[in-house]
Amino acid sequence: MRFLSRVASVLTTLFGISVFVFIVLRVIPGDTITSSLGIETGVLTPEQIQTLREYYGIDKPLIGQYFSWITSFLSGDLGFSYSTGAPVWDLTKPALLVTAQLALFGTILGVLMGISVGMFSARKPGSARDFAGQFFGLLALAVPGFVLSTTIVTVMANRFQYFPNGYEYMTPFEDLSMNLQQMLFPSLVLGIAVAAPVMRTTRSALLETVDKDFIRTAYGKGVKPRIVRLRHILRNSLIPIVTMTGIQFGYLLGGAVIVEKIFALPGMGRQILDAINKREYATVQSSIMVFAVLFVTINIVTDWVYRKVDPRIK
Amino acid sequence: MVGGVLVTQPAKAADSSLVIGSVLDIDKTDPHTATNFATVRGLGLVYGSLIEIGARNAIKGGLASSWLFSKDGTQLTLNLREGVKFHDGSTFDAEDAKASLERILDTKTGAAARANIATITSITAKGRQLVLKMSIPNAPILAALEGVNMAMLSKADIDAGKIGGANKPNGTGPYKFVSWEPTQSLKLTANPDYFMGEPKIKDVTIRVIPTEASILSALNAGTIGMGIITDPLIARQVKSNLKMFKTPALAYYALQLNNKVAPFTDKNVRLAIQCAIDREELVKTALLGEGQVTGPITSPAFRSDANARPCPKQDLAKAKEYLTAAGKASGVTFKALVTSTGWATSVAMAQNLKAQLAKANITMDLDIVEQATYVPRWLAADFTATLANNGGRIDPDTMYTRYFTSTGNLNKVASYSSSTLDANFIKGKASGKVADRKSAYTAISKELEDNAVWVWLATPYEYRVATKKLRGFSALANGSLLQLRSATLG
Repeated sequence: MRFLSRVASVLTTLFGISVFVFIVLRVIPGDTITSSLGIETGVLTPEQIQTLREYYGIDKPLIGQYFSWITSFLSGDLGFSYSTGAPVWDLTKPALLVTAQLALFGTILGVLMGISVGMFSARKPGSARDFAGQFFGLLALAVPGFVLSTTIVTVMANRFQYFPNGYEYMTPFEDLSMNLQQMLFPSLVLGIAVAAPVMRTTRSALLETVDKDFIRTAYGKGVKPRIVRLRHILRNSLIPIVTMTGIQFGYLLGGAVIVEKIFALPGMGRQILDAINKREYATVQSSIMVFAVLFVTINIVTDWVYRKVDPRIK
Repeated sequence: MVGGVLVTQPAKAADSSLVIGSVLDIDKTDPHTATNFATVRGLGLVYGSLIEIGARNAIKGGLASSWLFSKDGTQLTLNLREGVKFHDGSTFDAEDAKASLERILDTKTGAAARANIATITSITAKGRQLVLKMSIPNAPILAALEGVNMAMLSKADIDAGKIGGANKPNGTGPYKFVSWEPTQSLKLTANPDYFMGEPKIKDVTIRVIPTEASILSALNAGTIGMGIITDPLIARQVKSNLKMFKTPALAYYALQLNNKVAPFTDKNVRLAIQCAIDREELVKTALLGEGQVTGPITSPAFRSDANARPCPKQDLAKAKEYLTAAGKASGVTFKALVTSTGWATSVAMAQNLKAQLAKANITMDLDIVEQATYVPRWLAADFTATLANNGGRIDPDTMYTRYFTSTGNLNKVASYSSSTLDANFIKGKASGKVADRKSAYTAISKELEDNAVWVWLATPYEYRVATKKLRGFSALANGSLLQLRSATLG
C-alpha cells in the first residue's frame, strides 16, 4: 500500500512537471521561428510564417501539442530537434553522460571534502581548527561557481598555458586521460559547492552524536579513538549527511549549467539552455522530463540508502 | 604537470589544422534560411555565391566571373565561372544557379533574403549565362546576390529535397562539410577542387566554447588557433602573444524611437533625445572605446556623415529648447526595450544612455528582457523605444529598403516612411554607378536624421583573434571567414 502510494506520488509529480514545463514554454514570448530567424522573421510573408509553423508543428492546438508530445515521450520517443536535424534522444544521451559524470565527480569530491573538513572541525569545537573549518564552509558557500570557474580557467590558461577544455570533449571511452583532465576543474568547482553544506551538516551531526551515551561507553571500553570516530560517531551521523548529499546531487544537475558553459562541456545544462533560447519545445520538455525522472529516482535511492544506513527506518 | 594531478597535455593541433572558438553554434545547415551569425560564418566556408565581398568591401565576382546590366537596368546577365564543382563532384552550371534563386524566391522556403531579390520576375539559364529580369531598374541586386543566404546549391539536391536537416551540405566553397555535433563543433576539410585552388589550411573546426573569456583562455593556452570575439572587454585583454584582426562592422547600434507612439509622435521630442546624447561618451564608456560614431548608413561606399546631423555633439541647451517646443519643458519619461543577451554591451549602453538623457530631464526607464523575448516584441513594434543592434549590409538599398519604404516588410518596426524616402530609394536603385547613387542615399540619410526617426549611435568592431602563426588572413566587415581560403599556418 505504502509502495503504491509512493508510486502514485511520483507519477503525479512527473505529470505536474510535464504540464508546468509545457505551459511555461508557451507563455514566454517568442517561438521556434522568431528564435531561429531573429529579426529577419519580419521579412517573411504570412504564408511563409504559416508554412514554418506547420513545419515546426506549432500550428496545432495546445492540447493536441501536449498529448502528441507526452504520448511520444512515454513510448520512448523524445521528439525531434529541427535545428540539428536529430532526434532529441540522440542529443540527450551523450549530454546526460557528461552531466551525470560531472555531478557524480562533483558529489564525490564534495562529500570527501565536506566530511573531512566537518570531522576536522568537530574534533575540537570552538578551537582554531573549528574556526578554520567553518571559515572554509562559509567561503565555499559565498564564492559563486562562475567566479571560481573563471578564475581557475584564467589562471591555468594564462599562467600555465593549460586549458584542456579548449580541446574537443572526450568521453571516458574515447580518451580516459583527456576526459579526466577535462572533468577535473569543473568537478572541483561543483565539489566545493557541495562541500560547504555537507561540511556544516557533518559538523553539527557529529557534535550531536558525540555526546550520546553509547559513545561514552565505547570510549570507556577502551576502543581506539579513531575507531570510535569512524565506526560509531560518523556512522551514526550519516542520516543527515546522506540527506544533504542527495539534495545537493539533485541541485548539481541543475547547477552544472554555468560550470558546463565556462568549461565548454557539452552537458544537459547547456543543451537545455540552448534549446530554451531556440524555443525548441520538444528538446526542452523532454530533457527536463529526463532530469525530473532522474531527480525522482535519486530521491528513491536516497530513501533506500536511509534504510540501509539505519534499519530503524521503514 | 600542474598540482601533481594532471597526466599529459595533448599534442597541439597540426599546422595544417585550425580550430576556431565561437560562443555560438550553427543552428542549421540550410544556407537560405540561415540568420544566426555563427551559421552564416560556418556555412560561408562551405557554400559559394555568385557575388562576393572582397577587401575594402568591394563587390567582386564569386561563382559569376563577370556581369552586365541592360541599358534600362532591368536585366542582369551573369557569366558563370567555368570548372566549378560541388563537393559531391558534380559540375556547377546555370541550371543550378537558376534552381537556387528560384528556391530563394519560393515563399515556402522561408528564405531570409528573399525580399532582397523579390524584384526578379524571370530567371533564364543559357549555357554558362544566367539572365535575371527585374520589374524595375535594380542595380543593388548585384550586392544582394552576395553571401550565404544567396548560396548556390545543386539542382539535383534541391529537386530531391536534400537541403538542410540531416542532409550533408553540398556546396562549392573552399571547405567541405565533414560533421556537425550540435553544441560542440562543426568540422570541415579543404576542398581539393575549389576554383581558387585547395586551401593551405587543410582542416577547420569551429568549436563551441560558450563564453568569450574561455575562448581567450583557450587561445592563450594554445588549444585553439582563432577566436571569434564580440565583447570589447575581452578584446581589450588580448595581449601581444596573439594577433588581433579588427575591422569596423557593418552592423550598427541605434536607439529606435517608435514614431507612432507618444511621446515620439512629436518630432521635437525625438530631436531633444538626439541632442541630449553624447555618442563619443557612449563609445568611450559603454563600448570601452571599441567603436565608431555613425550615422544611418554604414555601407562603406555610401557611409553617412555623422557630423551632418542636427546636434552632432551633445547639446543640452538645444535639447531643452526642443522639449519646450514640444510643450514638455518639465521633461519626458519613456520606457526603452533592451535585450540582456543580444550582445555583450547592451545593458551597459542602455544605462549610459539613461544617465546621459537624465541631464536633459528625459527619463528613460529600462525594460530589460532576454533576446528570445526581445525579438518578437521588436517585430511587433511593441515598444516606445528600443536599443537595437541591427545588421548592416554592403549596399544601403538592401540595408534600409525593408525598413524605410512604405511597403517595406519591417516598416512597422521602423515606424516612419514618406513619399520622398520612397522616391529616393527608387532613385538609388536606378543606376549602377556609386557616384549617381550617392546623392539618393545622402538625401535618405539626411531625412532620417533631420527628423530624428531613430537615433543612430555607433558601429562596433568585428574581432578575430588568432595565433601569430596565422598568415594571409584578413577580417571582413560582414564577419565572413572566407579569407581562410588563402591563409596559412606556420
